[in-house]
Order: sequence, then C-alpha cells, then structure tokens
Amino acid sequence: MRSRLAPWLTLGVPTVFLIALFVLPLLSMLVLSVWRTENYHIVQDWNLRNYWVLATDGAYATFLLRSIAMATAVSVICTAIAWPVAYGITLYGGRYKLLLTLGFAVPFLTGEVLRVIALQGLLGPVGLVNGVLMSLGAAPLRAIMYTNVASAIGLVYLYLPIVVTVIYLSLLNFDQRLLDAAKIFGASPARAFFEIAWPLNLFGTLIGFALCFIPCLSATLAPRFLGGPNGTLYGMAMAQQFGESGTWALGAAMGVVLFVLSIAAVFVAFRTVDLRRTGFTGFGRS
Amino acid sequence: MTTNDSLPLGSAASPAGFDRRKALKTIAAGAAAAVAMPYVRPASAAPTTLRALMWEVYAIPEVIKAFEDKHNVKFSPTFFDGNSEAYNKLRVGGTRDFDLVQADGFWPGLYYREKLIRAIDYAKIPNTAKVFPVFKPDRFKLLTDEATGTHFGVTWCWGSYGTTYNTAMMPKDKVQSIECLFDPAFSGRLATSARFEENIALAGILVATRMGTKDKPRPDGKPFNPYVLTDEELAGVEKLLIEQKKLLLTRYNDNNTLQQLLESGAIAAAPEFAQSYRVLLAKKAKGEIDADFAHQLIPKEGGLGWVDTWLVTSGVADGPTLTLCEQFMDMMLSPDIMKQQALIGGASTTIDIRSIATPEEQKLYLMDRTEELSDMYMFDQPSSTEKWERVWSRMQAA
Repeated sequence: MRSRLAPWLTLGVPTVFLIALFVLPLLSMLVLSVWRTENYHIVQDWNLRNYWVLATDGAYATFLLRSIAMATAVSVICTAIAWPVAYGITLYGGRYKLLLTLGFAVPFLTGEVLRVIALQGLLGPVGLVNGVLMSLGAAPLRAIMYTNVASAIGLVYLYLPIVVTVIYLSLLNFDQRLLDAAKIFGASPARAFFEIAWPLNLFGTLIGFALCFIPCLSATLAPRFLGGPNGTLYGMAMAQQFGESGTWALGAAMGVVLFVLSIAAVFVAFRTVDLRRTGFTGFGRS
Repeated sequence: MTTNDSLPLGSAASPAGFDRRKALKTIAAGAAAAVAMPYVRPASAAPTTLRALMWEVYAIPEVIKAFEDKHNVKFSPTFFDGNSEAYNKLRVGGTRDFDLVQADGFWPGLYYREKLIRAIDYAKIPNTAKVFPVFKPDRFKLLTDEATGTHFGVTWCWGSYGTTYNTAMMPKDKVQSIECLFDPAFSGRLATSARFEENIALAGILVATRMGTKDKPRPDGKPFNPYVLTDEELAGVEKLLIEQKKLLLTRYNDNNTLQQLLESGAIAAAPEFAQSYRVLLAKKAKGEIDADFAHQLIPKEGGLGWVDTWLVTSGVADGPTLTLCEQFMDMMLSPDIMKQQALIGGASTTIDIRSIATPEEQKLYLMDRTEELSDMYMFDQPSSTEKWERVWSRMQAA
C-alpha cells in the first residue's frame, strides 16, 4: 500500500502546489494581459493591444535590452568570482568547508530590502566609500552613486552567494583524483582545469548562472534604490505598472513576455550544451 | 483492515445515535457559523474594533491608545503607501474590511462616486468647525458632492510639493521658479521624487506656462489643471523630463534618502512635501548640521498641493460603528491631538492650532500660510494614466 501511495504523495503534493501557486497565477496573468486598463479600472475587452504597445514602443524594448545586458554582466561576474571561491573552498577548506559555504548564506538571514538599503548607505553620497574618500580629501566616486554600476554591484552582492553555493555543490561531487591523473600524464594545471574540471562541472555552473541570470532579468529593488535616473530595468518598469500607474494589463503582458524569454533562454542554453558531457547525472545510468 | 472499513461511509453508528455524518455536519455547521459570525453580528451591537486603512506616518501609538482606552475598543490599522493601493483594497471588498480610510486629492471624490465611502454629518464631528477658513466646505470643494451638497470626508493634514534647497548652493531668486529644477547650471546637483504623477504634473505647469496655454481656454472648458494635459502639452512634458534626466543625481524613493542627499551637499535642491525640510531645520537648531535650508512653497508658475483626509467606508451602516467613526475623527481633529500629530508626523494641520503653538512652530508648520493652498493645484487623477505611463516610460528609457 505504502509503495503505491508514495509516488502519488511525493509527486502529487508538489504538483498541486505548483498548479495552485504557479500555473493558475500564470494563467490569470495571461488573461489579464489580453484585457486592458482604463484609469485604474480593468476592462474585459479581449485584444492584443498591450503586446502591440510592447512591440512598437521602443521604451519597453530598451528596458528589456538593458536588463538582458545587466543580467548577463552580473551573471558572468558572479560566475567568475564564484568559481575560484568555490574551488578554493573545495581544495583547501578542510574541515571548515561547510562552515565557509554557510558563511556565504549569512546575508540571506536579512531581507533583500534591508540588504539593498544597506548597500545604498555604503555606496551613496554619505556612504562608507565616499565618506572615506572625502575625509581623505579626494573627490567622491560618482560612478557608484545612483548609476548602473551601483545597480550591478548590488545585484552581484545579492546573487553571488547562490552561485557560489551551486558551484560548490557541483565541485563537491567532482572526483578530484581525475585532476591528479591528468597531471600525472603531463597536463599542466591550467589544461587539467579547462579540459577536466570545467567541462565536468559545466552543468552546475550553468545552473548557478541561470539562478543568477533569471532573477536579475526581473530585478526591481537594486535598480530602484541604486540605479539612478538612467537605471530603469525591465523588472522595475513592470513593477511600476502594478504600482502607482495602475496599468495592470500592460504589466501582465510584460510579465508574460519576460516569462517566455526566460524559458526560451534556458531552453536554448540547454539545447546547445551536451548535458551528458557536463557532469549531469540526472539521466540515470541506463 | 478493520470491520468498520467495510461499512459504508457514515454508517458507523454509535450507541448514542451520534454517527460520523452527524459529527461532520456539526463540525461543518460550527465552522460556517464561526466564519459568518463577524457578518451576522447585529448592527446595533457595540463595536469592539475600529478598522482603518491609513498612512503609517499618522498612526501615533499614544493617540491610538488614548482612543482605545476612552472608548474601550481596539483600533486596528492597516497601512498603505499610495492611494491606488488603498483604492484597490477597497474595490476588492475592503468596504467590509475597513471602517475608516484615508485619501488625498481627488481620491475621496472618486471613492464617493464609486460608493466606496459614505456621507458624513459634520454636526456630529464638532471639531470640523475649527479648520482654517481655506478648508471650510464653502471653499474646499473636494469633500463635497457637487450635485447634492453632501459631505463625505474631513480634512486632516496638508502640504505642498514645494522645493527644499540649500541656500548656499541655490540662489533664492532661482528657486522661485520651477525652471530651477530644469536648469543646466545645477547639473548633477538636483533630485526629484520617484512619483510619476507629481513629476509630470509639475513639469506640466512649466510646459503650459512656456506654451502660453495655462491661462487660455482649455479643451474641457475648465480652469487649467496640471493633471489634465493636452497631447501637445504631454509631448512637451516628455521632452522636458528627458532633458531634466541628465541633470538629476537620482530620483529619491524615501525621505531619509532625500535628507541625506541634502545634508551631504550632494544636491542643491529637490521638490518634496517639506518633511525633510523640517527634519533638517530641527537638526540645524540642535547644531548637528551647518548648512542652511529653505523651502519654496509655491513657485511663481503655480505649485501642487495636497490635503489628507479621513473618510468612512460604505460598509459602515448608521449606528454604533458610525458613531465610533465620528468620535474617532472628532478626537483626531482636536487641537491637542493635531499638534501632537504635527510635531511627530511632521505635517501641517488643517485645524487652527496657532493658540497652542510657539511662534517657531507656527512658522515651521506654515500655520500662517494656509491661504496659499487656494493658489495650488490639488493632487488629482491623471486624465489618462495610460498616456502618462507612456510619457514616464519613454523618459526612463531615453
């Protein structure tokens, strides 16, 4: 009895959960996107006008391109930082490996808003960085005050712990003896890394990259508090539709476009990578 | 498998005749009664809770406790950030969930037209008689139904969207015009709020002034209202805001950020509700800062103003709850409470409290300048939120 119920319970409960909290809200967003709003009222007038506005008004395409550029830059930076950090922990962490990895999760003990506001204080005109510079008689760094650079710093700060943790978990399952074998057969450390460690942990790296890239695409808080007048990203513009402007239907259409693009990006990434050669073990042994 | 498992559902009768079906029915009936209880409570019963949808800045614990103790009820506030958020809450059944609601500008009128709030009787709220003349119903029309003359709200605190500036960085003659917020001479030393309506409306006043359309007959036959702009004016606003963007250090999201920007000298001026200005003056008085700050209430082209109000939702029927709402509003409008509100919340009051205020407080809280409100354009609903949203998005993307 237990063996027949177990799959239903273990798969059924998450399925119900996903349908109730993910599929249904997504469907309601899809429906809302083909209605329209008029001065804070939703008008159930089926049309594709919101998508037409998104396609023809350059502003929304600009927000999207800015977001893609920002998400790519932040994900590349996070991955570039996370790899040596996670690799270092794996190789030299000894018995403190877990502790060191958990250390990266400490910022998650506070809310995202608090972390962004703390960063605003750090980078702002009277923040720590500029405060020290000014007390030393130097000019404040305007590049980190309400600019896209500040937004990028904020996003790296927010998502780096996730990327480090994912790459660390991938490296934890990686057999380090393969590197030793490569070196014994004459490979330089760099060649051993690029021909063995990197490809066999590519799947974990891609997961880390995706877990940084996708939330960065819809980031709202960092650009709002750190980004300045030129820092409006797609997520921030989308949140605006559901906030004071009350143009919910357009916001829903923006959400649908973002969802489709995110899925497409993940699909393309995984189509172009041979998962069997990236350390992915999810296909089983058969 | 037990014997009971083979019996049909509900057939497991006990010796006392209380079976599973009866038990389920009893539980279901009990649950339904418990859920329905708040809604079937007789209207004549004395309320035990007063529920308000309000701005957090006005929830002063001492004031709320005094009210609760006096009337032996619990005051249950729910906070919102913007009018549109409160409006949405009311429209999705909030009139049953809240007894009182706050709003400013045109929103009370919109709420009344949509039957989200109800009429109130000023005779039951005697402190309404103590408002400054400019807030009396004969002059302040936003809380009176034009057709029937019915009142549907009481005034509370007021303010403008004036310009706070560092007197050493921005000359006084410059700040008397909205042009100062668009002047390349102050490039990188200006900030504005992140609120799209007020940014567009303020720019709209300047654009209409430059175009000479402000004092000419309007398409709707009404006097100029910066929230009702023509397409040509909106195009001008978009161009102006794009030009302004290059001059801004940032668009602040909260008063604390603005205060830091002004205090550090990072910016010379910014339009705001005078709350940061008051904090900076208090710091100056304590010797915590050296810089001098001033506040231009209304620019020469015209400025924006707001009056926060208290309203009673349409879910409140005649009877004890309405009486409690009236008592609450009357207490909140009493001069002592209003003074407390001004000092803690940092807002100017619509009740005349000059007799209990020091000369410094009278100056700081603009008590002798209430008449200037009649020269301001009240916060209003954009004529088309969709068109305004496009203007704002295009400016952000430029």
